[in-house]
Amino acid sequence: MRQSRADARAAYLFLLPFLVLLVVFFGYAAVRAVYFSFTDYDMFSRPEWVGLSNYRRLFEDALFLSALRNSVVYAVVVTTTQTFLALVMAAVLNQRIRGIGFFRSAFYMPSITSSVVITLIFLWMFQRRGVINYLIEAFQRYSPVLGAFLLLAVGLQLVQVLIERSRGLPAGWLDPALAVVSLLVAGAGTWLLNGIGVVYPREVPTFDFVWLQTTDAVPAGAPFWLQAPLPLVAIMIQNVFTTVPTFMLMYLAAMQDVPRSQYEAAALDGAGPVQQFFYVTIPALRPVTFLVLTLGTIGTLKMFDQVAVFGNAVPLRSMVTLAYFVYDRMFPGASLPQVGFAAAAALFLAALTLIVVLIQRRFVRSEAV
Amino acid sequence: MRKAIVTALLLALFAGTAWAQNIRIMGYGGNDPAIVVRLLEEVIGDELEAEGITLTYEPLEGDYNAALFNALSAGTAADLFYIPVETAPGIIATGKVLPLNGLVDVDPFIDSLVEAYTFDGQVYGIAKDFNSLAVVYNKDLFDEAGVAYPDENDTWETFADKLRAVSALDDDVYGACFQPAYDRFGAFALAAGWQPFDADGHTDLLDPAFVEAVEWYASLVQEGAAVLPADIGQGWTGGCLATDQVGVAFEGAWVLGFLRDEAPNLQYGATFMPIGPSGQRGNMLYTVAWGVNADSPNRDAAIRVLEALTSPEAQQWVLEQGLAIPSREALADNPFFDTGTPDAEANRVVFQGASDGNVAPFAFGTVGTAWMNPINDALVAVLSGQASVGDALANAQREMDTLLQR
Repeated sequence: MRQSRADARAAYLFLLPFLVLLVVFFGYAAVRAVYFSFTDYDMFSRPEWVGLSNYRRLFEDALFLSALRNSVVYAVVVTTTQTFLALVMAAVLNQRIRGIGFFRSAFYMPSITSSVVITLIFLWMFQRRGVINYLIEAFQRYSPVLGAFLLLAVGLQLVQVLIERSRGLPAGWLDPALAVVSLLVAGAGTWLLNGIGVVYPREVPTFDFVWLQTTDAVPAGAPFWLQAPLPLVAIMIQNVFTTVPTFMLMYLAAMQDVPRSQYEAAALDGAGPVQQFFYVTIPALRPVTFLVLTLGTIGTLKMFDQVAVFGNAVPLRSMVTLAYFVYDRMFPGASLPQVGFAAAAALFLAALTLIVVLIQRRFVRSEAV
Repeated sequence: MRKAIVTALLLALFAGTAWAQNIRIMGYGGNDPAIVVRLLEEVIGDELEAEGITLTYEPLEGDYNAALFNALSAGTAADLFYIPVETAPGIIATGKVLPLNGLVDVDPFIDSLVEAYTFDGQVYGIAKDFNSLAVVYNKDLFDEAGVAYPDENDTWETFADKLRAVSALDDDVYGACFQPAYDRFGAFALAAGWQPFDADGHTDLLDPAFVEAVEWYASLVQEGAAVLPADIGQGWTGGCLATDQVGVAFEGAWVLGFLRDEAPNLQYGATFMPIGPSGQRGNMLYTVAWGVNADSPNRDAAIRVLEALTSPEAQQWVLEQGLAIPSREALADNPFFDTGTPDAEANRVVFQGASDGNVAPFAFGTVGTAWMNPINDALVAVLSGQASVGDALANAQREMDTLLQR
């Protein structure tokens, strides 16, 4: 008994430095923020108690409503997409093939690159004359050639497989040896067709899609709360690109912990690879899925840096998030800081995050048992 | 006896601090710390040291505004600090900026710069330097096109004709770069005779003068005589000029250093902004002032430092280093402006641009730079062909009204 109390004391002692930091920079600050959210504090005059009026004003502010919508849509879309893609990528990288280490490292690269740098690169890619529009235009231009190539390849493969089978040989539809022949011959055929002028790149107008400097939203006719502004879609693509690898790594680690015996038992019961994935792998990954969903939700709801880097290149309304809204109101520039109003928005964001995570926890845990 | 020694020591200590007063300065990061240090070493340092004043420059990296507000609120702000003109109303509203009336002689400074920092009859800042916009052009492209260089007699019509001639040279050559943002477009709106704020503080974006300016700006882009910087992979019109594919950029003296580094072989010239339909040029004043902390324990020394930093010698040095344009009227007849180099010519144009025609400070009351957002969104929509002038401006007016009511 005495021993354990001494242990506890030692534990608290080791925790102390962190606790002090937590109390000073988080606890104290959070309590102050709660207090300020009920006042009209501006950093320079005495805070006056204004009750709930800051919170009421939030919902009268058009920019706040845009920020709320953007944050929620962003969180839902990005969390879902990145969880799904991370799972798929992990399943792919969980194979025993030669050089898998290289692929694992290569796919992890986007996550170790600075988010500001990636955002800047994407900012360039999404310009009107950027790489994305250029690739789409190139695809449109060469679509006849690509189509001819695909048609030839599929046709050749079909013919070859049928010939093999007519000889009584067991050839699958995707037989690799035949596929190599089909692709090579299709390539040569397309080159020839292009040479004699049967198939040629189309003349297409410059693909002139404005991704960033626009107030348009997709889907075009949808109600306000279900729309995502185009610049936000660009940020979503970028964020999925950078965060998938981290979550992929978590899934990969968890997949390697799933006991082989479970797969063997499933195989004995007649489950194929797809059934094994759905009935063995996914249930075993449930705790990791909860972790990935929670980290994803928190990360997306507090998204700030991409908006800050995109800065003036994009209309504020089309990409403002709750976190950026707080900052924007805290330091409006040419007027005094609206600390009370910004604090109310910040607390709203905190409450929203907490509620969403609690709901997720209920939801995912009840299934896990 | 012992008491006497202690008193003497205390006195010596007190005298010591009184003799070596350290004045802290807060300003931007980037190049500014190096400039202030050199200014101190080469021009004003010795004089101040003789008076027992030393200086410490504390750069606020990142968001200057946020850092300054925090420092002012916490009581840790420096004795002297920068006041950017676009955020001046906010910084002054903190009540922590000392009114300089009667403490500093403001007469030698350019009137429009003093006015930009005058609120309710009190002057809160002395402009350390300033910039305005000039037409900076690529001489080779105009020679090749066989048209005269832009000059100070150009109206919008003659100017546009020259741009058309340059853009006719080749498909990827353009007469000018037009930024779809108020920070450059504003000069044209002012040249059309538009007022950013009326007597009641309202902004009218449907004013015929404003509409005319937007239409002129947009028509040149649509016919290919001008191009948006982003469409040729540039972020600003100075970047356009450095590509050798664009005839004209609208920038201040800050572009000179950039061109020296990025396009050292570019033959460029500079002239005044073209004359708009109002018969006047339009221009904007970009400036940063020195303000004195009202709570400074070394107020007198801080004011002395402010005077030294804005003295004719200091400003002449800053000008000759090619860093910025002096804010003193007397420096208008500066021999430096007549040295004949393109740099000196551009500096002269920027200096005189401050008092030629419809000139407004780059400041937007208590709304701050957010005031430009509705205009910028509308310009982007119109210049990229996403909306008509009428639709875009009606939309912008609605947003502007909500913004001004807030």
